[in-house]
Amino acid sequence: MRSTMAVKSKLVSLLFLIATLSSAFAASFSDSDSDSDLVNELVSLRSATESGVIHLDDHGISKFLTSVSTPRPYSLLVFFDATQLHSKSELRLPELRREFGIVSASFLANNNGSDGTKLFFCEIEFSRSQSSFQLFGVNALPHIRLVSPSISNLRDESGQMDQSDYSRLAESMAEFVEQRTKLKVGPIQRPPLLSKSQIGFIVALIAIATPFVIKRILKGETLLHDRRLWLSGAIFIYFFSVAGTMHNIIRKMPMFLQDRNDPNKLVFFYQGSGMQLGAEGFAVGFLYTVVGLLLAFVTNVLVRVKNLNAQRLIMLLALFISFWAVKKVVYLDNWKTGYGIHPYWPSSWR
Amino acid sequence: MAALESPQPATATAMRHAFGNVLSVLILVLIGVLAFSIRLFSVIKYESVIHEFDPYFNYRVTQFLSKNGIYEFWNWFDDRTWYPLGRVIGGTVYPGLTLTAGTIWWVLNSLNIPLSVETVCVFTAPVFSAFASWATYLLTKEVKGSGAGLAAAALLAMVPSYISRSVAGSYDNEAVAIFALIFTFYLYIKTLNTGSLFYATLNALAYFYMVCSWGGYTFIINLIPMHVLLCIVTGRYSPRLYIAYAPLVVLGTLLAALVPVVGFNAVLTSEHFASFLVFIIIHVVALVYYIKGILTPKMFKVAVTLVVSIGMVVCLIVVAILVALVASSPTGGWSGRSLSLLDPTYASKYIPIIASVSEHQPPTWPSYFMDINVLAFLVPAGIIACFSPLSDSSSFVVLYIVMSVYFSGVMVRLMLVLAPAACIMSGIALSQAFDVFTGSIKYQLGGSSNSADDAEDTNNAPKDDAAAGKTDKGEETVKERSSKKGKKKEREPVEKPSIKSKIKKKALVLPLEASIVALLLLIMLGAFYVIHCVWAAAEAYSAPSIVLTSQSRDGLHVFDDFRESYAWLSHNTDVDDKVASWWDYGYQTTAMANRTVIVDNNTWNNTHIATVGTAMSSPEKAAWEIFNSLDVKYVLVVFGGLIGYPSDDINKFLWMVRIGGGVFPHIKEADYLRDGQYRIDSEATPTMLNCLMYKLSYYRFVETDGKGYDRVRRTEIGKKNFKLTHFEEVFTSHHWMVRIYKLKPARNRIRGKAKKLKSKTSSGWSSKSAKKNPWI
Repeated sequence: MRSTMAVKSKLVSLLFLIATLSSAFAASFSDSDSDSDLVNELVSLRSATESGVIHLDDHGISKFLTSVSTPRPYSLLVFFDATQLHSKSELRLPELRREFGIVSASFLANNNGSDGTKLFFCEIEFSRSQSSFQLFGVNALPHIRLVSPSISNLRDESGQMDQSDYSRLAESMAEFVEQRTKLKVGPIQRPPLLSKSQIGFIVALIAIATPFVIKRILKGETLLHDRRLWLSGAIFIYFFSVAGTMHNIIRKMPMFLQDRNDPNKLVFFYQGSGMQLGAEGFAVGFLYTVVGLLLAFVTNVLVRVKNLNAQRLIMLLALFISFWAVKKVVYLDNWKTGYGIHPYWPSSWR
Repeated sequence: MAALESPQPATATAMRHAFGNVLSVLILVLIGVLAFSIRLFSVIKYESVIHEFDPYFNYRVTQFLSKNGIYEFWNWFDDRTWYPLGRVIGGTVYPGLTLTAGTIWWVLNSLNIPLSVETVCVFTAPVFSAFASWATYLLTKEVKGSGAGLAAAALLAMVPSYISRSVAGSYDNEAVAIFALIFTFYLYIKTLNTGSLFYATLNALAYFYMVCSWGGYTFIINLIPMHVLLCIVTGRYSPRLYIAYAPLVVLGTLLAALVPVVGFNAVLTSEHFASFLVFIIIHVVALVYYIKGILTPKMFKVAVTLVVSIGMVVCLIVVAILVALVASSPTGGWSGRSLSLLDPTYASKYIPIIASVSEHQPPTWPSYFMDINVLAFLVPAGIIACFSPLSDSSSFVVLYIVMSVYFSGVMVRLMLVLAPAACIMSGIALSQAFDVFTGSIKYQLGGSSNSADDAEDTNNAPKDDAAAGKTDKGEETVKERSSKKGKKKEREPVEKPSIKSKIKKKALVLPLEASIVALLLLIMLGAFYVIHCVWAAAEAYSAPSIVLTSQSRDGLHVFDDFRESYAWLSHNTDVDDKVASWWDYGYQTTAMANRTVIVDNNTWNNTHIATVGTAMSSPEKAAWEIFNSLDVKYVLVVFGGLIGYPSDDINKFLWMVRIGGGVFPHIKEADYLRDGQYRIDSEATPTMLNCLMYKLSYYRFVETDGKGYDRVRRTEIGKKNFKLTHFEEVFTSHHWMVRIYKLKPARNRIRGKAKKLKSKTSSGWSSKSAKKNPWI
């Protein structure tokens, strides 16, 4: 990850240095008028975008950050993006960028007054603004940086957003912003899943479809009348629940872990009853379900088979599998929870 | 009954039936004894004492009821809790449990059996577990016959999930509510099978009892409409369905509104809307069927378009009203707990106080094994048995298990609702399996072919007995009345032609030796279940958590610190003193120490709890200000570091921070974590080391072993020697589990500060400090 950000153009950075120096020189004479000009320009740039995230390039950085004397009248929250890394799923760049846009839009929507001009959301794209990346000393993504009004050295990493600050996406980003800038972001406003016209379309579709559905229900020939569908649905929900899938969804558990000591080995079973891994849950859920299914198979289907030997063979197989499944679950449970389940015999039997 | 069967061996069958009935009653009595006695481990191993937290509140309310009578209880305003707000107990409590135990106590006393209120409270739960297993028998018998009923009742009598909530001393709502739940379902099924208004009325009354007892009644009022809808959609509508449902909604809702804690919620909250919607639908459907009955098919086709369109308009209007109502309230009219069932990630995101409770966590697979044990294996077989053939009643239990198993996957406490369903299903599965296996053995050992023939005949004989023309019902009556032996064959559809049945009968057997092995394995499975249940009852679920024990090499250690400190409070503090602690200990403090608390386990006011959480997470001075503003005299903390008691306040502390931070944003969880890790050793953050909870827990702790080694966190504490400025230690229990601090009066603190000032600046301190000090 870090190696991808190699130093590329020394020339640009030299030019940039000159530009920075000259602009810094100019900025030292700046007054409040030019400050408000800058703010106005930022506001107009912001209004041109959809979510309020200003796209900055090297020129923009020099104009709004390096050439303005501290304290600047605004903070910038900069998202460092790289289109070429969007394909790397573990970096989650597109997702974070989307969430960043949501925070920005929420901030805009909740702050119409003076506070709205104190913080601007910006993004810098790597391929177009490599020197800015260098200027900020950014060599690893994802990287989100808050440039407070007083920061003059852009390499100062105090404004960097930690991993924990965007772990919960927009909500935690907003918390970070509120914590650092003392500005109120307000409630996060996510775009609804369906737009209004889509909802209207769906409602219309349902309204049109209902008479036909009711007609078929009255006739009794829908899928709903198929018992096998209900049966498999019920069994599936049972399997789904006893496998603890809900736990995996709520806790966002992975299917398996990598062994810490040996990275090539995968850990499928987690010891300790408070937690489970995805594959583990499905495996045990399958064991839970298969015994009942075999029992039902024997008592409902196998009894009608006429061949006695076939019956015998299948039944013994089913019994063996069931026995093995129960034994396995008991073993796994004892291993996982550490409980020592034991009977209570009368003391005279010992 | 016997007359219905072939006349020849009439007396023999009658005898067998009579014998079977007597045996059933005997077995049921034994099941009742089993259910009661398996729950007595807590009394035998510990003592006859009320358990945990909530039961103490219920006990206190029952005491009040038995002392002051029902009207006083109904209007009781409790000023001992939620200081300074107080709580209207009569209007905010589910009165079912209290009234039940109060009635039992009153009846016993009028019979001159002088039991104390506490004894009655301790044993209410085991008694009601016996009732619950009998109700399970009735319910399962309605669905699949008495064999399955007995099996299900026996399983329910010792299912660990239910034991966990109903051991002797666990005097909580669930103890009676599970009985009410099963009994309501039984009466619903009974009404559905008989179509009798008498049972429908009883059903509404049972539902009323359930509403009185437990907030879980919403499960009933959503499950039954769902079943009705399911029946309608799959074309199983019948007048019996209407009788089973319509009176329940009308009477049930009216009765539910009588319970103060529910009141108008019974018509206003979204949890109940499903029942009203289905109520309208069933009327539309009933109208359609009625018109279908009086019109010719051709006319009906014309009419159906008319009715359907009118019905749809009505439905649309109602839906629109409901949507408007739902949209007008912020949470959509759903309570937080219900919402987190629909959207499982809801609570963890938005309501830390719900997410903080351990029983609201989603369970992992070992929880199922622990709580329903081998039933988890048998349930799928039960589901399949319910589908062959599918009747109104069996579709209901299928729906019940599906809904409850899904909800239990979201919240571990709803495992309790799953347990009866799992028992019913497993009972059905076990009964069916035993029928098939023993039938095969019996058939192949010979000599019983005659009786097999008889049993076969009964299938077709009483078909016209059923009053309603529906075949489902015919099957049901057959099932109830025929002997256990014939049941195997009844699993096949009744409509089978009799010629075919001769051939089928021969085929319907399994190999002898395989059947014997299968039977043995099933018995082993059952034995394992019994062993597990007894173990769970004895070891896992019997601890009262008010008295702790630990077994070590040098014998049994008893930690009775809680009662020691509550007794200290009641003997050494003024009656009107206010005691602050985390909400877990609120009920116990009011019940055992009889002192006023700030927050308790009835977590109705999030802000108030957040205030206490904030105080605990603040530095000493800020905490002193908060507590002082609440008139608090004493602060109680629970500390397990010395003996290794893991559920102490330090382990709960992050929740205090979260809940406090939810209302008072200056408390931030990140300030208490070092790199995302919660720690109290030398690496801990300064905010953590200076917060009140840390200081009160670890004050003088280093004096115990010289190092300050915390046995729960398994580390040495970060800050060892410090003094308290605003609090003084007044009591620490024998094993340091409970520590009580007194807020220093403002004047004392000035003197302390003044001394410092005096030593620094030699002149004129009094006027200066008096000006600066905000406490005067």
